[in-house]
Amino acid sequence: MNRLHPRIRLLWVARAVVFALVAGGVTGAGVVFAPISIPPLAPVAVAVTLLVVGVPYALLRYRAWGYEVRDDSLYLQRGVLTKVNTVVPFVRVQHVDSTRGPLERLVGLASTIVYTAGSRGADVAIPGLTPDGAEDLQDRLKRLAIRAEGDDAV
Amino acid sequence: MTNLSPLSVPYRAAQRSVSIVFALAFIAFSGGTALGGFVGALGGAALLGVVVLTIGGYELAYYRRFEYELTPDTLDIRSGVFSRRNREIPYRRIQNVDISRNVAQRLFGLAAVNLETAGGGETEGSLRFVTYEEARRIQKEVARLKRGDTEADASEPDQELLFELNPRELAIVGALSFDMRLPGLVFVFGSSIFPVVTSFVDVPIPTSGVVAATLGLVGFVLLVTAVSWATGFVSAVVNYYGFRLTRVGDELQYERGLLQRYNGSIPIDKLQTLTVEDNPLKRRFGYATLLVETAGYAPGAESSNGSGAAGRGSEAAIPLARRDRVYSLVEELEGVSKPTFERPPSRIRRRYAVRYSLALGAVTLALYGANTLLPQQIPWYLPLVLVPVAAVAGVYQWRHRGHALADDTFVTRNGFWKREIRFVPYYRVQTVIETRTIFQRRWRVSTVTADTAGSLSLVGGDAKAVDIEATAASDLRETLNDRLRASLVARREERRRARQAALGVGATDDPTLDDDRPTDSPTESADTDDSFIWGDAVVGPDEKDESSVEENSESDEEGLRDADPDSHSESDADR
Repeated sequence: MNRLHPRIRLLWVARAVVFALVAGGVTGAGVVFAPISIPPLAPVAVAVTLLVVGVPYALLRYRAWGYEVRDDSLYLQRGVLTKVNTVVPFVRVQHVDSTRGPLERLVGLASTIVYTAGSRGADVAIPGLTPDGAEDLQDRLKRLAIRAEGDDAV
Repeated sequence: MTNLSPLSVPYRAAQRSVSIVFALAFIAFSGGTALGGFVGALGGAALLGVVVLTIGGYELAYYRRFEYELTPDTLDIRSGVFSRRNREIPYRRIQNVDISRNVAQRLFGLAAVNLETAGGGETEGSLRFVTYEEARRIQKEVARLKRGDTEADASEPDQELLFELNPRELAIVGALSFDMRLPGLVFVFGSSIFPVVTSFVDVPIPTSGVVAATLGLVGFVLLVTAVSWATGFVSAVVNYYGFRLTRVGDELQYERGLLQRYNGSIPIDKLQTLTVEDNPLKRRFGYATLLVETAGYAPGAESSNGSGAAGRGSEAAIPLARRDRVYSLVEELEGVSKPTFERPPSRIRRRYAVRYSLALGAVTLALYGANTLLPQQIPWYLPLVLVPVAAVAGVYQWRHRGHALADDTFVTRNGFWKREIRFVPYYRVQTVIETRTIFQRRWRVSTVTADTAGSLSLVGGDAKAVDIEATAASDLRETLNDRLRASLVARREERRRARQAALGVGATDDPTLDDDRPTDSPTESADTDDSFIWGDAVVGPDEKDESSVEENSESDEEGLRDADPDSHSESDADR
């Protein structure tokens, strides 16, 4: 089972922090502008709660994530509250993307997305890979998918 | 290159004009007379004439610029008055060919043809309108060319009637159909008007008034129910009148409709999943509904046809039939009839009972909260009476759940009020997903979902084995993956043998013939061949592109050569 790159934690924690701060800010704006009276400590409470929940969640999410390139399929496991294990047979792979979002680029990471004709389509994304790793994985999946010689894809 | 039926010009023009002309005529004459009697009316009439002429002219241009052709391996459609579009649809990609004719179209002998492929959200090929004979010819030709028969006079494939809706079943379908639009409307209207009405009745009303109001309300509800039932009955009968399902060679063909006739074909190897659906009432009387899913339809796409099965996947669905007839059809199509289901572990009954009890508890709590806030007393403890019912409901939910691994098919069963038994052939599985929520983990169970490329799944109906033993779930996950591979290998082998047999016969006859025969999968040596092209997984070697529909919007030489000056403009105003 492969783990994600540890730096993805930075990204996810940062995202949780930003979300907490924004939510706190919005509540703060509510305190100032809303017609009903909101306790002045509410923004702090909101931000702190979200931080206390969000940061450990991001870390747990990292711990739960794993993927494996097997002989005939790609296997993923993830999920903190709901554990999800996915098997993507290579015969079903339609195409493979590797993407780098602006935030991902900032921390020097990339994702690989595997598309199938299934109704859940782009559900299968592997975040937290090094750019080289993402391209390698993309290449590997591509070759494995070709070798698997699919039938009619739908 | 063939054109549409010439009659399509007046028909399309009339269709397009009707609404516009009515609106304009109203504006012109009411506004015109107000403006200044005769002159205004004249102006209005002139405007009307211009509009009608414009529409007529446009439709004529549309007709003249619309061409289609059945080439040996693609259906080509060239269309567009202003911006041109050339579309080539490989026959093997075509999922469904549907023909529909409404009353007016039947009068003129016209028909609309829709061709669906798995890609995209809309209908990929649409011919508005051709003659009915031509529509049937296209349907037959597409099926024939897809099979790869090269001779035009190839013998008709054998027909076999699979299912016919008998009048009794049609009547039951009608009787069980409710048109929910009217109640919906009443509800929306009522909920917006209710506060207004109640604000007027602050004064104490005499008892007789309350009784009268209650009686009126009951009467009104009865009336709404009766009307929605009647409209439901009529629309179901009109939709499903004369429903027939036939097997023609390797295709399913359906026919239905009283006023508007629908007629379509679905290649059997494009079927994704079958779903048998029933409810306690249907179960009691031994009836069931069959839904057929292909990857061709976008969800909700059929609602434009006004069909009763709107948004429910393919039109070949059987609205209602005796259970044994439904199962024998399933057996015919999937080779499996009555699988033996494995239920979730029996401790799960307690889980469902607890879940329902918790829901009841939440309702009770909410009512209690309301009770403390409101001035008058409400019987907040009433939902607690239902707790024993929750236990029973838990047992029933458990009893109607299950999954089965048949020889070629994964079968799941879920739901009590709306029970769905879903048949997924192993070779249709796309991905396998195993999920465990925190609650499921407490009970050591998991849910295994077999995702397919069907369209029903988009509206939340994947084949799910819910709450199975966690250890069994990971086994099931791997089993599904293995069986998918095994059945793909088996299918490939089968096709290879079929092709060799065909080659053997063909070689004595005319060896060149087989070279233009579209083959279903790449050459036999492909298993070890590294030069295998990416994407061959999806298309045969004789197709150049892996996208299911080739298309190029253009203002190219074709457009420029044409005399039509409009073709230079890149305007998107077409259609």
